[in-house]
Amino acid sequence: MTSASLARPAERPRKPPRSLLGPAGIAAFLLITYWAVSSEFGIGLDLGAIVKDLDRGQVILADVLRPDFGFFERTIPAMLETIQMAIIATAIGCGIALPAAFLASRVTAPNAFVLRVDRGVLNVIRALPDLLYAMIFVAALSIGPLAGIMALILFNLGVIAKLLSETIDGVDTGPIEAARAAGAARVQTIRTAVYPQVLPNYVAFSLYVLELNIRASTVLGLVGAGGIGRLLNLQIGFGNYDNVGFIILELFLLVFAIELLSISLRRRLV
Amino acid sequence: MIDFKNASVTYPGGVHALRDLTLQIPDGEMVVIVGLSGAGKSTLIRAINGLVPLTGGDVTVDGKSVAKARGGELRRIRSRIGMIFQTFNLVKRTTVLNNVLMGRLHATPTWRSLVGRYRPGDVEIAMRALERVGIVEKAYVRAANLSGGQQQRVGIARALAQEPKIILADEPVASLDPPTSHMVMRDLQRINRELGITTIVNLHFLDLAKVYGDRIIGMRDGQLVYDGSGAQADENVFRDIYGRSLTADDVLEAAATR
Repeated sequence: MTSASLARPAERPRKPPRSLLGPAGIAAFLLITYWAVSSEFGIGLDLGAIVKDLDRGQVILADVLRPDFGFFERTIPAMLETIQMAIIATAIGCGIALPAAFLASRVTAPNAFVLRVDRGVLNVIRALPDLLYAMIFVAALSIGPLAGIMALILFNLGVIAKLLSETIDGVDTGPIEAARAAGAARVQTIRTAVYPQVLPNYVAFSLYVLELNIRASTVLGLVGAGGIGRLLNLQIGFGNYDNVGFIILELFLLVFAIELLSISLRRRLV
Repeated sequence: MIDFKNASVTYPGGVHALRDLTLQIPDGEMVVIVGLSGAGKSTLIRAINGLVPLTGGDVTVDGKSVAKARGGELRRIRSRIGMIFQTFNLVKRTTVLNNVLMGRLHATPTWRSLVGRYRPGDVEIAMRALERVGIVEKAYVRAANLSGGQQQRVGIARALAQEPKIILADEPVASLDPPTSHMVMRDLQRINRELGITTIVNLHFLDLAKVYGDRIIGMRDGQLVYDGSGAQADENVFRDIYGRSLTADDVLEAAATR
């Protein structure tokens, strides 16, 4: 069989013409960028302003880079509040996101109707930024960490359900077929054939969201939703940039610590 | 007893995978289904446990219609039918024991499976199934760390843990090397002989089919073209089933020595 095909080789195909899609795409991108930057159509970006305003910034920057470690004690309550808010929101948000993700994946949703409704709700939730949720909850509830936690829960639910449902879409469907063939009910199938496959991702996403929550607390405080952001805002207002520098340093270390925890947990799970 | 009555399956694309199939498989038989890929073997096997719904006719298992069964009734029928797959279909990240326990889900309340606490009796059944295929020492090992042959034995143990009346095996050795293939086929044969479980195996290697099939069913274009004993099935019969002359690829031993 092989020798026969060697004796009479098939004619080689002609190289197809080069697609113009690539160059056209680059041209369109450049045009759109010009539209956004230019002074007559867009925002009129002037990079020179950075240099012109540098003198003012220099003073602030110098203070920020000399953090006042004596400020530590006064940051403790706000920092703890930030961490607690982040943990509570992560726990509740990720808890709700798990079933929401299973209903939002074609692989595990019971039917097309549930799939579409769940995806629709999640899309709406994700469409609004966390800061806007915080403003709404502060207005609806009151100033304080509860509004911040509610905002973070919605934010976490949107992020985790999206990432996790996409992970579920790509899962190995063999075990699902095996569970169905063994007479398992839908919930049992999801629990035994799908959940173990996405568990490492779920943990990683949850830790990522915890990290996002710590970071988000800086802006949540600006609108009165509790956490370190309120203190940060206060210190900026007073012009105490050495204290601001210290808070930034603290946040950096906290986020870094969560990242380390996340890496070691993931290594153990995968 | 499995009973196909004028069973047909037409896939949405218009492919006729089963055409008006009438076939009876009495309890305790070891049946091998042969045919080219696309001949309808997989569809036939999956029609028995309702993984592929019929578009015409009926198939009954012990008098109960699979085609008409829904929800809990369908799951009850499936619970008595174990299935083994070409690609093993194990959850690779979890333990061998957890994989075998999937065979006990039909007898486990939902809340128990949600928290992962199986009844001790079910764990015992799973362990005994692992003993029967000779890899009980791997019970707490991750499925991913097993060789292909070992993984397929876990697949067999999972099917056995259902305590089934019927076992369906869809190309169970297509991903395995020849010695392992024989080992897995002997396992299936032993299960059929010792436990009296009706065993239906899809194969495309003729020599394996002849050795292990007490009864051979030949499929071509979704139709039954041969039904007889393994001893009667000679080269002419297979040529007829395949609709072409045989090649070395059709035989396991020859395929292995190339």
